[in-house]
Amino acid sequence: MATIVVLVIIVILAIMAMGVYNRIIRLENRYQNAWSQIDVQLKRRVDLIPNLVETVKGYAAHEKEVFEEVARSRSALMNAKGVNEAAGAANMMTAALGRLFAVAENYPELKANENFKMLQEELASVENKIAYARQFYNDAVLQYNNGIETMPGMFFAGPMNKKAAVFLEIPEAEKEVPKVSFAS
Amino acid sequence: MSVPQGAALPNVITDGATGRRISLLDWQASNRRMSWLLGLIMAALLAAIAYLLAQVTNPASAGVFVSVAGVLGVGQTVAAYWFSDQLALGASGARPATKDEHRYLVDVTEAVAIGAGVPTPRIYVIDSPAPNAFATGRDPQHASIAVTRGLIDMLDRQELEGVVAHEMSHVKNYDIRFMSMLAATIGVIVILRDLVLRWFQFGAFGGPRRSRGSRDRSGNRGQGIMIVLLIVLLVLGPILATILRLAVSRRREFLADATGAYITRNPEGLASALEKLAAYQGEGLEVSEGVRHLFIVNPLARHNAMHLLATHPPIEERIDRLRRM
Repeated sequence: MATIVVLVIIVILAIMAMGVYNRIIRLENRYQNAWSQIDVQLKRRVDLIPNLVETVKGYAAHEKEVFEEVARSRSALMNAKGVNEAAGAANMMTAALGRLFAVAENYPELKANENFKMLQEELASVENKIAYARQFYNDAVLQYNNGIETMPGMFFAGPMNKKAAVFLEIPEAEKEVPKVSFAS
Repeated sequence: MSVPQGAALPNVITDGATGRRISLLDWQASNRRMSWLLGLIMAALLAAIAYLLAQVTNPASAGVFVSVAGVLGVGQTVAAYWFSDQLALGASGARPATKDEHRYLVDVTEAVAIGAGVPTPRIYVIDSPAPNAFATGRDPQHASIAVTRGLIDMLDRQELEGVVAHEMSHVKNYDIRFMSMLAATIGVIVILRDLVLRWFQFGAFGGPRRSRGSRDRSGNRGQGIMIVLLIVLLVLGPILATILRLAVSRRREFLADATGAYITRNPEGLASALEKLAAYQGEGLEVSEGVRHLFIVNPLARHNAMHLLATHPPIEERIDRLRRM
């Protein structure tokens, strides 16, 4: 009789353990998959940049500094390894593009260019998607971290070698109101 | 766009109607369960009606009646599962949005879908100046969102994001499946009721009375009870289903508002959009009764804002709850 009770308890515990294990794996997969959503949008933005730079150069070829900054952030992003490096490079690129568009404000002819307007709109839409993707990623990370830091997941995190994931920082530049140009 | 870390636990939303905190996963699971339960209830109801129908016309063929009803019920459930979105879109005159023509809407929807963590739904536009929107489908992988031209024209980006996020909540939480199933249930009962009433008009049930003598009096009385039962079932059925729909649908709207605000991290966007929708005084949106409850605001709200059987909570209350988040 006692053996049966012990056996039943062992079976129940095993089933519960399986549930916790699966939950941790599921949460981990979700936040890692959430990163790929950001990655897709970052790649789209990288693809748009050569075209944008060419268009702006047609009107403001001498603004070399800002082109170099954009190019630097682009290669940094393309060579980035891992989530944190890519996120850092992406923030750098957001800042560089912000500078580029601020410069563009000084060139009315450029601003009137259809191609430029289209690219600007496209980039704004990509930025918006990046913001949403980053938000979803942070949500997924929060759930994953809660999953492995609270009961009962915390007993499994060690043996499963799972560590808390890092939140993506929202760059300061994005929290500011976009700067208005003061063309004289 | 900032992430209020720790401010709100993901996937736990405060139900505006009761003030209780609800796990979205529980809500989704309940929606899925309820969808199938509704299918079962409808099949049972159909079988009961068929049985009674057989009793008052030709008791010997009860088996045939009930099996036909069973097949119909199952068929209707399956059809609702697969095709109700096409029906709803067709009934409201929606046509697919194109990236060229509705770039703004498509961009906003794609962005919100990313934030909600669901695949981008198919996007439709209804050619009406009245601002409104609805979602339909069976699960997030097979979902559609339709908005009117008036909505796109009237709202700014944040407001449009708020409305789309509200609809995306219906998608993400399987409200769309539940609503499709419910609409199908009510639809079948209404069709049956109308059919039986038509038969009454043509005197189909007068037959046994005319051929008096072929049955004894008690048989006639039994038949009378059956007829009464049948009528009660057919008349009460749609009313009960409607009450059920109202009870769940108002709560659902509050929850979708809350989830939508969570997805955009911006309750003010949806609040201000709802304000504009409530203030709209122009031409109404003519859609059939069967799809009216799907919309974010009642298409006929101007005519019966205080209607007891409103499918939506008062818009002012929704705005107020969003502003207090």
